[in-house]
Amino acid sequence: MSKQRKKLTHRQKERLAVGIKIFLGILFMSPIFIGLVFSFVPDDELYELPTIQTIIDNFTFYNYAKVLRTLPILSYIKTSLVMCAIVIVVQITVTSLSAYAFAFFNFRFKNLLFTLVLIAMMIPGQVVTITNFLTIRALKLLNTYLGLTIVSFTAGRSLFMFRQSYLSLPREMKEAATVDGCSELRYLFQFAIPLSLPSIASISIMIFIGEFNAYLWPLLVSREPRMYTIQIGMAQMIGSDAIPNYGSMMAVAMISLVIPIIAFIIGEDYLIAGMTRGAVKG
Amino acid sequence: MSTAVPAMLRKKRKKTGPLPYILLLPTMFFLILFTFYPFINCIRLTFYATDSIGRPGAFVGLRIWKKVLTSDEFIKSLKVTFRYGGLIGIGTFSLAMILSFISTKNLKGSKVYQTMFALPMALATAPIAAIGTYIFSRYGLFNAIFGTTNIWLAGNTLFGTVVGIVIWANCGSSFIYLLVGFRNVSEELIECADLDGANIFTKFFKIYLPIASPQVFFVIFLNILTAFKSFAMIRILVGTDDSPLAVLIVKLYNYAFVRQRYETGCVYALILSLVIFLVSRIQFLVEKKVVFYQ
Repeated sequence: MSKQRKKLTHRQKERLAVGIKIFLGILFMSPIFIGLVFSFVPDDELYELPTIQTIIDNFTFYNYAKVLRTLPILSYIKTSLVMCAIVIVVQITVTSLSAYAFAFFNFRFKNLLFTLVLIAMMIPGQVVTITNFLTIRALKLLNTYLGLTIVSFTAGRSLFMFRQSYLSLPREMKEAATVDGCSELRYLFQFAIPLSLPSIASISIMIFIGEFNAYLWPLLVSREPRMYTIQIGMAQMIGSDAIPNYGSMMAVAMISLVIPIIAFIIGEDYLIAGMTRGAVKG
Repeated sequence: MSTAVPAMLRKKRKKTGPLPYILLLPTMFFLILFTFYPFINCIRLTFYATDSIGRPGAFVGLRIWKKVLTSDEFIKSLKVTFRYGGLIGIGTFSLAMILSFISTKNLKGSKVYQTMFALPMALATAPIAAIGTYIFSRYGLFNAIFGTTNIWLAGNTLFGTVVGIVIWANCGSSFIYLLVGFRNVSEELIECADLDGANIFTKFFKIYLPIASPQVFFVIFLNILTAFKSFAMIRILVGTDDSPLAVLIVKLYNYAFVRQRYETGCVYALILSLVIFLVSRIQFLVEKKVVFYQ
């Protein structure tokens, strides 16, 4: 009897702990909720702090209607999504093929080429931004999707994740397939790539969040409003007016946050798997 | 084992044909075009006076390097870069450490707050900056809650406010890494410590931190390096002209893309890559010396 009671209090304690931590989580995320609440308050009410009563009385979708009417938000989002899709498809295709060469072949210059990939990973993308911009401009790719995406067509990180995934496949399977006369390409497309689907999911979600939120490169390449990504369009709003329209700003911020938040909640497990796999030794 | 060796030997002798080279071709092509060539070109441009569209003109030798390295703005920029990176590294680590330590136990419902603590890593800088400008404005929520009347994103408080916003924004991924580290601590070890009467601080400093030390150092350096490379928050909240937050990457942008002085921008780019390289080396050495591997 007493044992049962003790168990119960232990469980209650745990529930209380979870409750407190969820409360902390809400507190931690409060900037997003603040943005959400104030996106429903008219701009004029935000030049001083509105009371809760003012917020309820003035609740309105006006900010959303206004920004959707005055700004090409949907075009910004479309540009962002198309850019993400291109990078995901091309980068995964390119790196999944290249990783296969490193994982399953012995060939001349293998070590040299592998070292080149390692060196490339040590050069931060920001450092080559200036000269890449000059290249893109010389190729007349400013304000094009190709210009936005071409610098991300390959990435050492994705290549490594694919290589890791291929190497974790059982060696016996490859040997058996070879004995049965399975060609290298067939093994790649019928076994190696389908068995690497979890890695593909991890890489896709990482690319998606990275590209959707990219700022510096789109800022340089997208010079015309028709090619603005949502980040560039959003950033234009901040500090552009002498008297900031906080309500509209919050509305655009909320619109731009919806897609990555949904992507994060759906892909969280894959994202975490991708981040932690091989990132930390030990 | 005994069968593996001959298999490998056989493989080495086997002719592989052109297939691996074909598979590697696209990666090598894009790496050369958008990583190696621009890096070398970046070095080359620093020796020339470039025109407004980035074509090299007269050869000037090391004159631009000398001009940059001896300028006050460069010294100031370097100092600010390290101050900014250091504060963000330590600050993000501290916040993430607290959040992951309280989430260490896997309970029913823990996924909910884990997602909440990790969520900011999915959010872009621009909307965070938008919310930040409102919260820290004269009539914003921060002043209302704390009874102050400061304009936080200006003057003396600008640096601290930006660092604070960045710490919040960057904390999510560090939280995940540290959580993995703390969860490597076995339950038995904690039970033993409990039996010996260890309090929570002893457990934290003598058990959790040493076992998670690979993640701890990784996270601190990751955040320092991310801060060196991140540009969006400063550009949106502070601007790039004569900014009190003119870190190296802001200088790079300002010279190359605002003033069209590409060669000076390239000098800053190379200094930034040197700084990043040196800090990565330090990370490597520190990890080797200090990190405790199980």
